[in-house]
Amino acid sequence: MQLVAVLFAVTFLGFASMNLVGDPLVNVVGALAELDCEGIEAGTVEDTSADVASSDCDTVAAAKAEYHLDRAVPVRYVLWLSDMATGDLGTSFQNDQPVSEVIREKLPETVILLVMAQIVSLGLAIPWGVIAAYRANRAFDRGSTVASFGLLSIPNFALGVVLLYMLALRWQIFPSAYESENLGGLLFSLILPALTLGLPLAASYQRLLRTDLITTLQEDFVHMARAKGLPPLRIMFRHALRPSMFSVVTVFGVSTGSLIGGSLVVEQIFGIPGIGREIVTAVVRDDFPVVLAIVMVVAVTFVVINFLVDLLYSWLDPRVRAR
Amino acid sequence: MNAEDRDTGATKTSRDPRLSRQRMLWQFRLLRLARSRRVPTDAPAGDDAPVRRRLGFAFWLAVAWLVAMAFVAIFTPLLPMADPTEVAFSGPRESPSWDAWFGTDALGRDVFSRTMHGARISLAVGGFAIVFGMVVGGGLGMLAGYYRGRLDQTVGFVFFVLLSFPALVLAILITATLERSLLVVSLTLGILSVAPVGLLSRASTLVFAEREFVSAARVLGARNGRIIVRELLPNVVIPMGALTLLGMAVAVVAEGSLAFLGLSVAGEDSISWGKMIVDGSGLRDLQNATHVTMFPVAVMFVTVLALNFAGDRIRQYFDVKELAF
Repeated sequence: MQLVAVLFAVTFLGFASMNLVGDPLVNVVGALAELDCEGIEAGTVEDTSADVASSDCDTVAAAKAEYHLDRAVPVRYVLWLSDMATGDLGTSFQNDQPVSEVIREKLPETVILLVMAQIVSLGLAIPWGVIAAYRANRAFDRGSTVASFGLLSIPNFALGVVLLYMLALRWQIFPSAYESENLGGLLFSLILPALTLGLPLAASYQRLLRTDLITTLQEDFVHMARAKGLPPLRIMFRHALRPSMFSVVTVFGVSTGSLIGGSLVVEQIFGIPGIGREIVTAVVRDDFPVVLAIVMVVAVTFVVINFLVDLLYSWLDPRVRAR
Repeated sequence: MNAEDRDTGATKTSRDPRLSRQRMLWQFRLLRLARSRRVPTDAPAGDDAPVRRRLGFAFWLAVAWLVAMAFVAIFTPLLPMADPTEVAFSGPRESPSWDAWFGTDALGRDVFSRTMHGARISLAVGGFAIVFGMVVGGGLGMLAGYYRGRLDQTVGFVFFVLLSFPALVLAILITATLERSLLVVSLTLGILSVAPVGLLSRASTLVFAEREFVSAARVLGARNGRIIVRELLPNVVIPMGALTLLGMAVAVVAEGSLAFLGLSVAGEDSISWGKMIVDGSGLRDLQNATHVTMFPVAVMFVTVLALNFAGDRIRQYFDVKELAF
C-alpha cells in the first residue's frame, strides 16, 4: 500500500517540477514558447522567418497536446500519469523521437553496467569480508579497514579517471573506449566502468559483512558446527554467511540508487551510450521531456527495487517470516 | 546522559577479563573525564573495537588540513597567487615547476591557483548544504518526533519520498528546471541532505522525549516550545553535529559529480574541482599532462578523506550510530 502512495508522490514531484515551477510551455519547448503562433496563423504578425516559425508552431502545438497544457492542472496530472502508465513517455523535442524508444535503446547498456558493478562488488566483498572477519583485528583486517576507508572517500569520478589512466592508458590492460561489436568485447570494455562503480561499493559491503559475520560467529550454532569438526571454510560459507547477509542486502537496495547516480558519471568518463549519458545531454540541450521521463523511470525502478528487497528479507531469515 | 548510564558502561568494561586492573582504572578515569555519553549498546562482544576516548594525532592532522583548506578558500583572492583564468607565459601543459607548482593546463592556466580557487565553490556549497539540512531537516525531524501523530506521518512520508529518488538524479531534475547559480546548486544539495538529517533528528528526539527530564519539565508546567528548545535541542544537536563533517563530505562529492557532468554552478569564472577534473580527463591530457587531472584529484581526495576521517572520529567520540547518507 505504501508502495502505491510513494509512487504517486514520486511521480507528482516530477510532474510538479515541470508544471508548477515556471511556465510549463517554456519548460517543455524552451524559447519556442515565445512565438505568437495564433498571430502567425492569422497573418496578423509579420515574421521574416515565417517558414521556420510555422514548423516551430507545429512543435508548440504538439507539445501542448502532448502535455495537455490546455487543461486544468489536476486534470493534466491524471492525463499525464495515464499516458506514462501506458508507455507514452512523450516526445523528445530535439529530434522528434519518442522518449520510450530512446529509453529502450539506452537502457540495456546501463542495466548491464549496473549488474556488472554489483557482481564485481559482491564478488570482491564476500571473500574480503569473510577473511577480515575470520582474522578480525589482525594485520589483514586492519589493513583492509584503512583501504576501505580510502576507497569510500574517493569521489567516483576521480576514481574513474585514475583507473582509466592507470589501467587503460598506462598499462593498457583494458580498452579505454566503449565497444559494442560483439558481446565479449562489450563485457570486456565494461569491466573498467564496473570496477569504478564496484570498488567503493565493495568496501562498504565488506565493512557491513565483517561486522555481521563477527556477531554470527559468536552464536551457538557456529560453536556447534565447530565442535562437530567441520572445516572452517565450510562453516564460514555454508553456515555463517547466509544469516550475516542482512545489512548487505539492505544496502544492496539503497546502493542501487547511488549506483545509478554513479553510472551517470561513469558513462560520461568511459563514453558508454546509456541512459546516464542521455540524461546529461538532455539537460544540457534543455530537452525536458527526456529528462523528466528518465527521472521517472529511474525513480519508479528504484522504489520497486527497494520494495523487492524488503521481500528478500524473509527468504534470508525465516524468523522475519514468522513475525 | 546521567550517572546511571555511566556506571553501567564502566561495569561492562570491568567485566572484560583481558584488562588489567591498572588499565581498567585508567579507562574508568578516561570515561569520567570524557563525560561519557555511551549507553551500553547491544554491540557484540567479539567486535572489540575499543571505544575511542581520544581523538588522536591523525584527527588533528585532518583538522589541520581542513582548516588550511578553509583558510585558502576564504582568502584566495588576497594570497600572492597566479590569476586562475590568466594564461601563463610558460605555455600550455607545462610540467610542475617552481613557478607553477602544479604545472599548467591545456590552456596554459596555473593548475595550483585553479585548485585553490576550486576549494571555494566546493566548500561553500558543501557547508551551505549541510547547514540547510541541519536547520530544515533537523527542525522538521524534531517537530515530528516530539508531536508524533499526523505531523509525524506527513513528515516521515516526505522524507521517504525524498529518499526514494537516487540523490544525483533528483539533483539533476532540479538543476534541469532552474538556472544553475551558486544558490540553486547549494539549495539543491541542501534539500538532498534534509531527509537523512531529519530521520536522525527524529529518531533521537523520539528517544529523548521519553526521558524523565522531559516529563519533569512538563510537570513543572513548561510549554511545548520551551521543552523543545531548552530540553530536547541540546541533546539532539550533539548527534547531529557529530555528523556534520560526514554530511559535508557527501555534499562536496555530490557537488563534484554535478560539476563533472557540467551541471554545477555555470559560468566561465566559476572554478570547481569537478570541472577541473573533467577538463583534464580527455585522453590527450591524461596521456601527456597527467598533472592537470591528478593534482585536483589528489587535493579533492585528501579533503574528502579528511572530512570523512575527522567526521568518523567525532562520531565515535560521541558514540553516534552510523547513518547511511
